[in-house]
Amino acid sequence: MASEVSVQEVADAMYKMIKDAQGMKKFKAGDLTKAMRDVYGDAADRKTCKAAIKELIDSGRCVYTYFGGSFIEIPHDEGAANK
Amino acid sequence: MADDKPKRVTDIGPPHYEKFLPPVIKDNYGKWKYHEILKPGVMVHYGHSGDKLFTVRAASPRLMSIDKMRDFADLADKYCDGYLRFTSRNNVEFLLTDESKIDPLIEDLKALNHPVGGLGNSISNIVHTQGWVHCHSAATDASGIVKAVMDEMYEYFSEMKLPAKIRIALACCLNMCGAVHCSDIAILGIHRRPPRIDHNTLERLCEIPLVTSSCPTAAIRPTTTPEGKKSVEVIEEQCMFCANCYTVCPSMPLNDPLNDGVSIWVGGKVSNARTAPMFSKLAIPFIPNNPPRWPEVTDAIKNIVEVWAANARKYERIGEWINRITYPKFFEMTGIEFQKEHIDDFKFAGLTYHRTAQLVR
Amino acid sequence: MANLPNTPKLDELTKGPWPSFVSEIKRAAERSDMCKDLLGLLERSYNEKIGHWKHGGIVGVMGYGGGVIGRYTDLPEEFPNISHFHTLRINQPAGWFYTSEALRTLADIWEKHGSGLTNMHGSTGDIIFLGTRTEELEPTFADLTAAGFDLGGSGSDMRTPSACCGKARCEWACYDTMKACYDTTMRYQDELHRPMFPYKWKFKFAGCPNDCVASIARADISVIGTWRDDIKIDQAEVKNYADAGLDIFDDVVLNCPGKCMKWDGNTLEIDNDYCRHCMHCINVMPKALAPGDKRGATVLIGAKAPIIEGALLSSVVIPFIDIDEEYEEFCDIIERMQDIWSEEGKNRERVGEFIQRVGMGNFFEAAEIDLIPEMVTHPRENPYIFFEDYYEEGDEEEEEE
Repeated sequence: MASEVSVQEVADAMYKMIKDAQGMKKFKAGDLTKAMRDVYGDAADRKTCKAAIKELIDSGRCVYTYFGGSFIEIPHDEGAANK
Repeated sequence: MADDKPKRVTDIGPPHYEKFLPPVIKDNYGKWKYHEILKPGVMVHYGHSGDKLFTVRAASPRLMSIDKMRDFADLADKYCDGYLRFTSRNNVEFLLTDESKIDPLIEDLKALNHPVGGLGNSISNIVHTQGWVHCHSAATDASGIVKAVMDEMYEYFSEMKLPAKIRIALACCLNMCGAVHCSDIAILGIHRRPPRIDHNTLERLCEIPLVTSSCPTAAIRPTTTPEGKKSVEVIEEQCMFCANCYTVCPSMPLNDPLNDGVSIWVGGKVSNARTAPMFSKLAIPFIPNNPPRWPEVTDAIKNIVEVWAANARKYERIGEWINRITYPKFFEMTGIEFQKEHIDDFKFAGLTYHRTAQLVR
Repeated sequence: MANLPNTPKLDELTKGPWPSFVSEIKRAAERSDMCKDLLGLLERSYNEKIGHWKHGGIVGVMGYGGGVIGRYTDLPEEFPNISHFHTLRINQPAGWFYTSEALRTLADIWEKHGSGLTNMHGSTGDIIFLGTRTEELEPTFADLTAAGFDLGGSGSDMRTPSACCGKARCEWACYDTMKACYDTTMRYQDELHRPMFPYKWKFKFAGCPNDCVASIARADISVIGTWRDDIKIDQAEVKNYADAGLDIFDDVVLNCPGKCMKWDGNTLEIDNDYCRHCMHCINVMPKALAPGDKRGATVLIGAKAPIIEGALLSSVVIPFIDIDEEYEEFCDIIERMQDIWSEEGKNRERVGEFIQRVGMGNFFEAAEIDLIPEMVTHPRENPYIFFEDYYEEGDEEEEEE
């Protein structure tokens, strides 16, 4: 059996992945989930990943963004926004 | 940290529909027997119980002020114990049990400039998108053309004198928020100029691999400008103006007053009645934008509707009529010019070539 | 009294018999500066023949990734009141039924927080609140949830499902469309509010093959009511239609796609084994004919508009399911398909396009759905078959054992 991994641990790993790629690549929920499975194997199942994403969003560390598709990013000023 | 905040309510979903159903519907739910159209815009449903439910259907412009919402609420209180609904084509429907209230309601609706109709063999309301009122990728306005076309087609909404139904839809760009691709007549906003690339903002606003992969014809390549900025270039001959790149990257606008306009499509349907659902086919590749009333568009639609109405058999939708008479006849009868643009050259184009010697004279 | 901008072009559209959206904006502009600026901006678009809006993609309410469409004008100095002009999508009640009280509640919330302009409804079926500022989004949401409403979908999430009025007001409803719509909406609240898919994922529930919600053209999952036993006939009523002038042979029999009807001037015969359940005869004679009693739905998958790889209509997955009774089984099949697409689909790839890319046979096999002839109009015409196994010398003997 795969070892246990906490939601918080997965959330932190996701956050690091998003932060490291900031400005270069944006990730969708599915991209993050797949990447976590590569790292943690079956321990990072879909349910855990979903909970981790919810944790990132609900805590305000990340936000959903939309550009022809929905991505998960670190909050930033919107390019199109009128100040 | 969130402990002192009031708990936010989320994920409650929509209110349950039962809260909004009038008693006559609750009593006859799933137990309706048949219906009749009594006159334009008015129908009655008979329940097995013997109950009757009258519906009065009126046009709406879809874009409505809250004042109009309150007007409708007042009418619903006055005539139908507060119960009303909207249709999938943006009409408003009042649900009555007292037949004697139908005509006074219609008078009140008329006083509010909301004509009654859209049932049976008529043109129902036009399903449409946001256009210049609210959209960044619109190649044309939506509400304005709809208003102009329906002013012109008004008699076909408020009377039932057509051979069959007509469903008209408008989408202001190829994204088709209004999914017009299966309509008897579709009005589709269209761009004709490849994206203009803003090299100054692209690297900041857009993710280049996402932009290049967004192009269905692989016309977008990464490049570096002479000033050393990372950007993209477009092979213009390969662009078919879908604007998918603009959707993922705001630095590639296709909007252009000289080259934007509308195309007209015919012969689609979603109903399974008689014939299977069909896509709409190109009738007129391009008509320039001519606000506020787009007379060339309204004329083109009126022409198609009237030629069809004069020649179709009973119940024959536009697509069914054309399939019977064939497209060469459609072009001949409507006087629409057949052009190179009518010939498909995207995927599976060959399936649309005429692969039989069966031809009308 | 409001001092409205000069809009000669738009004013043209206040004339004529059809209800005018310009009059609606003007009416809202009597109390809303946003609408005043909107009139000015729109007049400018009418003069310049181009829109003046920019993308928006970050604004929303806390925790949700859908339901708000960010929008900013590109002329904020001239039209400061619509510098932000975001849209909220609010999940409509199934079948679009309302009470006057519900409409007034919505109007009051929007008067307090936004432009006062709405769409009843948007293309997918939501109530649309058109135009507000970023800082008003949370307060609007709080008032909406307090009134029992919630946001709808947008972006790569499950979009707000919609349904025809079904059993509430239609004798042809072959299943409870509004219940299926409501149950589906509630079951997938997480998927609706938190984008987790490659792209949008739409459900539409139509009670009969007339498909008043255009599900076959517009929904990834199209559920269309149908029946499996015989069409019910009241011969006396058929005769009444004939006596009233309906040409049963020309108008009904000749239009039957299954060519399964006969009319001898007195009796209408239907060979129900060949009925295609198209609805035409029933549509023409609602008092005489009706769908049978064994009612349910056909489930189809994959419709979409052209972007990116071309438009698609939905195609058959399940020819018949009694969805009222077998709702869990319906969801189970949907979830199996959803999981495969969700896992393997590319960014912005709708499930219909995904199925085209991987092959319908492979897709259904992976989803453990039986392959049946109802799934195709006809078998393949080309001989390029991907046979999955072949034999080596000597394999035949092993087969014998």
